[in-house]
Amino acid sequence: MPPDVSMATVPPLLEVTDLRVAFHTERGILQAVDGVSFRVEAEEIVGVVGESGSGKSVCLMAVLGLISGPYTHIEGSVRLMGRELVGLPNRELRKIRGRDMAVIFQDPMTAMTPVYTVGQQIVEQIRVHQPLSRKAAKARAIDLLDAVGIGAPAKAADRYPHELSGGMRQRAMIAMALSCNPRLLLADEPTTALDVTVQAQILDLILRLRSEFKSAVILITHDMGVIAEAADQVMVMYAGRVVERGSKNQLFANPLHPYTWGLLASIPPLDGERVHRLPSIGGLPPSLLDLPAGCAFSPRCRDVSARCQGERPVLDRHGDHARACFLPLESVAAQRRAGLAASLQPAEAFSE
Amino acid sequence: MTRPLLEAIEVSKSYSRGNHVLARFNETVKAVDQVSFTIQEGESLGLVGESGCGKSTLGRCLTRLHAVTAGQILFDGVDLAPLSLRALRPYRPHIQMVFQDPYASLNPRRRIGDLLAEPLRVHHRGSKAEIAERVGDLLDRVGLLPDHVHRFPHEFSGGQRQRIGIARALALNPRLVIADEPVSALDVSVQAQIVNLLLDLREQLGLTYVFIAHDLSVVRQVTERVAVMYLGRIVEMGRTDTVFRAPAHPYTKALISAVPRPDPTGASRAQRIILHGDVPSPSNPPSGCHFHPRCPVAQDRCRHDAPTLRPVGPGRQAACHFAA
Repeated sequence: MPPDVSMATVPPLLEVTDLRVAFHTERGILQAVDGVSFRVEAEEIVGVVGESGSGKSVCLMAVLGLISGPYTHIEGSVRLMGRELVGLPNRELRKIRGRDMAVIFQDPMTAMTPVYTVGQQIVEQIRVHQPLSRKAAKARAIDLLDAVGIGAPAKAADRYPHELSGGMRQRAMIAMALSCNPRLLLADEPTTALDVTVQAQILDLILRLRSEFKSAVILITHDMGVIAEAADQVMVMYAGRVVERGSKNQLFANPLHPYTWGLLASIPPLDGERVHRLPSIGGLPPSLLDLPAGCAFSPRCRDVSARCQGERPVLDRHGDHARACFLPLESVAAQRRAGLAASLQPAEAFSE
Repeated sequence: MTRPLLEAIEVSKSYSRGNHVLARFNETVKAVDQVSFTIQEGESLGLVGESGCGKSTLGRCLTRLHAVTAGQILFDGVDLAPLSLRALRPYRPHIQMVFQDPYASLNPRRRIGDLLAEPLRVHHRGSKAEIAERVGDLLDRVGLLPDHVHRFPHEFSGGQRQRIGIARALALNPRLVIADEPVSALDVSVQAQIVNLLLDLREQLGLTYVFIAHDLSVVRQVTERVAVMYLGRIVEMGRTDTVFRAPAHPYTKALISAVPRPDPTGASRAQRIILHGDVPSPSNPPSGCHFHPRCPVAQDRCRHDAPTLRPVGPGRQAACHFAA
């Protein structure tokens, strides 16, 4: 066997390197994603957390190649199974989307067309990518609806999206996404629009699919609870950048970035003792058109130093845990202890 | 026991759906179905449940933004339910509402100072100068700056707009504030700020809250008592701590266990009760106990026999045949 084959490492399922997405707006250039790198291995669930404007959804759309147009600018590299997607013509991308990677959106009502039945939409998706007869594709669609836990799948296939409940629609959308056995599933807030009891069902389904369909998942959410349940690896985004990255256990047990810590602390606990006051992050997420100099989180950070205001921290690795912060690691732990005690920050006035 | 600030007695609200001229051909949706509860002055009551359970409709009935179909709403002993809009006016300042969507609840064409002064002008609270001073106080109370009076709503972020919504609700010194999902449209880090603000204001001003939310952890943080609703009915009510620690109704149990916890060990997942199916449509609720098709402990009896809310412990009620 030639050495170059045996020595070659298998490329990760998805490798995103230094992805930048900018929009040219009337008010200037908006850098929505600013140098994001990550990889997704086969059958891995990578959680992406961040608030509105953190760039998490734009990042996902860029991976899918769904961002284009005269006022957008994309740089960097997105490799799916070793193949570069950035710069690929739309004709090629359309072969990949739906077959190798598929997406689940937050709101299935707006993601499906209202004028075709659920079955017709799944059949179309199957027949675009696979040489199946209409009849065989229909049978496959019904199998898929069954696999995602829709009772009476043959009946559901003949329904229009508006005739299904929110939970059922989300299941149907997952069935559609799975129709070609994609290696990678991108889920943008898949449970946010659902009621709690239905959310639990859908999360359970996503976890089950990983083992049954062997898909890797990028799971975008703002809910740390969802991350804790489903993800293996986690990326925390803020103002277009990754501020912390690590395994789920590392991130929850030992958050290294003050923003991650603040996010975790500001969730009111559902079990155990009730805290008198929630530790909250002061201030507001910054506008992407008017980012502060230096670290984007510095105006809201309790441990801000002069360096943070002048220089942008880059993601540095501590083992397989990475963060973008200048705060010395020793004081992170101390800060967290102090933060818990001094969670009594008064509601501040906004100077904005 | 002192007279409760607010007492709802078998309040019902139904809508008719469809547009047939003969009412009997239209279906009736019972959004709120004979709900009763009391709130003492200074207390906070949480109303929780999933979409379609009637929690928001109930909130709007309490402020009489909706007319009620049946039942009584006693505010400080006076029944508001039958009053005409004119007769209601003297009571309006005492009951105010904070809405979910801070983008939709503020008139985009009016400046903040104007928005806050309007209720004061309508109810003749002082001279122009006094009103201006009060507006300044209100902004300060909710953590905004005095010069914000000249700005328009679009110049503020979601969290700041919700502060304005809260300031407007407080303008007339209400005794009861009904907050309908006040933080659910906000980012997580801003949510905590608004929750803290609501807690502070309550402490400073001795407010009474009806706090409507689907986010159980926020409700636990803000309220002393909680009522859990399912398809228009209260299925469990009691002290928040007790209900969350040891829920009596199978729906409450499932609801609390379904919330994903920020706990990476997955211990909470292991104990999860996953309900089957979706919440049924309120226009065609199941017979008997509305919850029986999804209930893990349902028996034959539940199919035709609707359980009533009954005491299951000190200060605690549940509507289940089998609740201990």
